[in-house]
Amino acid sequence: MNRGNPTTRSLEHPIIWVAVILFTLGAIVLLNTIAWLTLPLVLAVVFYYLVEPLLQRMQLAGATPKQALGIFLGVAFLMTAIASVTILPAMLNGLSEFQAHLPEYWDRLQQVIQNNLHLLEEKFRFAKKAKLAEAFQSQIDRFASTSGKEYITDTALFLLHWLPSLLLVPFLAFFFLRDGAAFHRLVLRAVPNAFFEKTLILFDRLNRQMHAYFRGMLGLTLLDTVTLGLGLWALGQGPGIFGFRDAMLLGLICAVFAWVPYIGSALGGLVAVATCAVKAPQAGWMMLAVVLLFLVVRMLDEFVYTPMTVGRALRMHPLITVMMIFCGGMLGGVYGLLLAMPLLGVFSVLGQMFGEIWFDPRLRARHRARTLLEKRLASKDLEV
Amino acid sequence: MLRLMNLLNFFRPPPLDPMLQVVSGVPVFRECTRAELEALRLHLHERHFLEGEIVFDEGEEGEGMYVVITGKLRAVRRGMLKKKTLGDIGPGESFGEMAMLGASPRVATVMATEPTTVLAMFRPELLRLVEGRPRLGYKIAMGVARVLEARMRQTADGHLEKSLTA
Repeated sequence: MNRGNPTTRSLEHPIIWVAVILFTLGAIVLLNTIAWLTLPLVLAVVFYYLVEPLLQRMQLAGATPKQALGIFLGVAFLMTAIASVTILPAMLNGLSEFQAHLPEYWDRLQQVIQNNLHLLEEKFRFAKKAKLAEAFQSQIDRFASTSGKEYITDTALFLLHWLPSLLLVPFLAFFFLRDGAAFHRLVLRAVPNAFFEKTLILFDRLNRQMHAYFRGMLGLTLLDTVTLGLGLWALGQGPGIFGFRDAMLLGLICAVFAWVPYIGSALGGLVAVATCAVKAPQAGWMMLAVVLLFLVVRMLDEFVYTPMTVGRALRMHPLITVMMIFCGGMLGGVYGLLLAMPLLGVFSVLGQMFGEIWFDPRLRARHRARTLLEKRLASKDLEV
Repeated sequence: MLRLMNLLNFFRPPPLDPMLQVVSGVPVFRECTRAELEALRLHLHERHFLEGEIVFDEGEEGEGMYVVITGKLRAVRRGMLKKKTLGDIGPGESFGEMAMLGASPRVATVMATEPTTVLAMFRPELLRLVEGRPRLGYKIAMGVARVLEARMRQTADGHLEKSLTA
């Protein structure tokens, strides 16, 4: 049986292209306005698309939808319980160790930055004029004396603001998983007969697009984690900075940061450089090597990994992708950067199908005929 | 005794959904077990057509097949001068099976001649189902092949009859 490729068709009508772009940008603005709901919603959707194939498999093996969800929740609960007994104490130990060493790390980091700024001032006149080291020190002093408390209060308020909304994630994901299929059928029931086949294909394409995107992102994260982890581990062998587990963990953190285009990778790089700075401040070459490693991984991401994973899933023109990411970032900040690609993918499939339905005069004529038949049927007994 | 009967009824599976009873009699799905039919039910869409309403047009890209639950439909084809009726389709019969093999153009227009309820099944959904249950996929594919073979035989017999009587 022929499956056909759902993403090979392109948007043909320029009006639809414009509409797709406008809808994507509009959705970014809207989601940024209701940011408190966007974050749990996005996380719940990601969770849904990661777990749903597993539930599908269980259903195909003979379980009912409720049984499949029950089994999954049971296993998830069991795994969480086991993890909280085995991994949590180790994590708490690690955290308390980190907390104990925090002042030392902070001093080392400051020292490394100061050293590098002094080095810059020695080499470049503009840096000396700008008194970079002095400016940095005054900022640090100000942070330590007064603003530190403000930052801590702000952070606490920020966490208090976001925690309740994050608690929504499992709640939303549960209902998506439980009622997703019923909701899908409910929506399809409302579709007129004339457009039904096309709409079903639209849902199928949309579903596959989303699955492919999330699978792609997962694959990309895995590849980034392995490449960065192995790279950091190999680099850290000399000065003895990272063990294999630490390197992989740092790789994973940086790969997750990389979900936010451009900014995320830079932030991940900074985290890795800062880790090297506090662990081995004497090995200056190490920081340079880490920066180089991140540049290499960035190149690999752009030219090998992304086309292999996410790019294959969305089939977007690179120019449009870049433009949309920048516009998304401008309109919706971090959310815009994060959501521009998946939203563009969703709206391009919707636009594609809308074009196929709307510009098909026969389908519209069939729908008009059905409406006329309904009217005639409704007024049949009323005719004089 | 009555209590024993009640106990036995407890272990007896509930009666099959009436729509699935109709589906189980359709040649394409005749080989499917009860469990397979119930798995299939998740992918069947119930649609209602009014008298005179078109289900699909000849030449349109086909994406799924239909099983008639109640009502009646007529299959017509464009001829050289006028439309040619291929036949009526009633409850327990299926149509549009060729679309299950690939997105090919429909060979006839199907129109409801009275208020009709059908169950629609679409290729992408069937393919997803088949990925998890290859045995079911094999049964459906064989069922579709049998139906198409019977139709081709009918067509060939018709041509032979025509040429003999001419």
